[in-house]
Amino acid sequence: MDKRTYGFRIDREKCQGCLSCMRVCPTHAIRVKDVKAQYRPDSCIDCGVCLRACSRDAICATTTPVEDLSRFKFKVAVPSPVLFGQFPTGITPAQVVDGLLAFGFDEVWDYSVEINLVARAIQQYVDQWTGPTPLVSITCPVVVRLVQVSYPAMVDQLIPVQIAREIAGREAKRRFSARLGLHEDQIAVIYITPCQAKTISILQPAEGVVSNLDGALGFPEVYNAVLACRRLKKGDAIKSSRPPIIRNSGLLRLHVSEGMGRLVQQHRYLRVTGLSNIIQVFNDIEKGKLRNVGFLEAYSCWNGCAGGNLTVANMYVTGSTLRSLARTLPETDPVTEAEVERRFPNEDFSLKAPIRPRPVRGTAASLKERVQMRQLAEDALASLPGLDCGLCGAPTCRELARDVSVGDASKNDCVFLSERRLQDLRRVYLRSTA
Amino acid sequence: MPEELLRKTFEIQGWDFENAGERSAEVTTILKDLDVDPNIILRVGVVAFEAEMNVVMYAGRATLTLVVTDDEIVVEVADEGPGIADIELAMQPGYSTASDEMREMGFGYGLGLPNIKKNSDVFSLQSEVGRGTRLHSIIRLISYG
Repeated sequence: MDKRTYGFRIDREKCQGCLSCMRVCPTHAIRVKDVKAQYRPDSCIDCGVCLRACSRDAICATTTPVEDLSRFKFKVAVPSPVLFGQFPTGITPAQVVDGLLAFGFDEVWDYSVEINLVARAIQQYVDQWTGPTPLVSITCPVVVRLVQVSYPAMVDQLIPVQIAREIAGREAKRRFSARLGLHEDQIAVIYITPCQAKTISILQPAEGVVSNLDGALGFPEVYNAVLACRRLKKGDAIKSSRPPIIRNSGLLRLHVSEGMGRLVQQHRYLRVTGLSNIIQVFNDIEKGKLRNVGFLEAYSCWNGCAGGNLTVANMYVTGSTLRSLARTLPETDPVTEAEVERRFPNEDFSLKAPIRPRPVRGTAASLKERVQMRQLAEDALASLPGLDCGLCGAPTCRELARDVSVGDASKNDCVFLSERRLQDLRRVYLRSTA
Repeated sequence: MPEELLRKTFEIQGWDFENAGERSAEVTTILKDLDVDPNIILRVGVVAFEAEMNVVMYAGRATLTLVVTDDEIVVEVADEGPGIADIELAMQPGYSTASDEMREMGFGYGLGLPNIKKNSDVFSLQSEVGRGTRLHSIIRLISYG
């Protein structure tokens, strides 16, 4: 496993050690030591819950700096369909495209063809699968990482079909390099993303390969450019002259309510959104309660990607906008269909490498030593109050007990066991809030 | 003789469908805690789950024992149920005495015992009608390194 180099950073100047991020982290990847939050990158699944929890703006996620794009000769934007639901009524997808071009992109890529290609590959995979179910879609990078970290026995249930945006990246590079006589390295394909997790997944894919995309920009970075462009054009009273970017409603429907379910109809299908709900469902899967479900699509954000933390508009409004947009478009169209038929037999959609579990704790110790450490942790846990107050700097008593068993913490970090610890905290926290 | 590192026994209550699967989930959690190879966890999980479901569906009460040694994982389930008259028949894929209600819940397809056997390196089943059934499964930790 490569060292994880992307993800979140904590600004030690801004961090006040308030414990908020540590308490909400679903994989217990944060500790607070010496009044500062610290990450354990191996346990982090890039969900971004900590970003929202921090009131001091002390946590920032890896992004693609816009200046980095200037080194490319040709720049292609691949917008998430959710982008088209971000703007006030009256701003059409064509105007959004105009805005992206004004922002500095040379082309904007509609990936409905890729969605259909990937859906077909997924359908084939689900049809021939004889192993344990449900199979789980890998569209949401947080879900993939959650499985790698917390449900390692489920990695083989992740569908090893590449994500549509990755296929779009590959095809855009191929097509434009041929058309323009450029090397593929001179072409940047940038995903316009509703969340930081997708940015990180492009910089460091879960399967340890190199992404076909060159980076990602969040909606806030292009939002104003689109609005500004529209304002300029208004005076001209000229409608955007470009052909409609979205030819059919498939791509939009995917993000509204139906998900991929419409595309894999023969199998019992579930769509789950919200990380806490996903964890509940995964626990049920482990307990064998969801055996009749063939295919599961899970999105870390409530309501799916419309609820991403780099979105601008309210997620319910976005949903409504996307739904009305979808109503104006045909379900499918001959151009898309023909492209899918042409490309499907000629392209490989399988993941470039298998997704493996991510070892969270070092496996250097022998099984015997690990059993002993587990016993140590159980013993430590028995002496802790079980209140999960977090004042020791670990999110739960169980986590502190684990840290103690591997030598990362001391039982005396617990304020119930050490008067000294309480005094130390009093001194630091009462002063810093005064 | 392999050295026994950990032994834990759980009670399983028959006909308690609400909590069915909880014990095998606990078994899985312990093995995850011990950083056991995910493929091994998966196999032990299937064995423990299917055995637990068999108890919930057919037997009144049972104990599930997990034993971890330095080179294998043992799952042993001993119940005080009605027993199995014809083990050979019970082992056949698709053979089941489950009721329609159980099938509606997604169980009772006659795949439990064959599935346990498939996932075990060593498997044995002893039963006495009217007394109970004892299932013994060993999964070797060969690939562990």
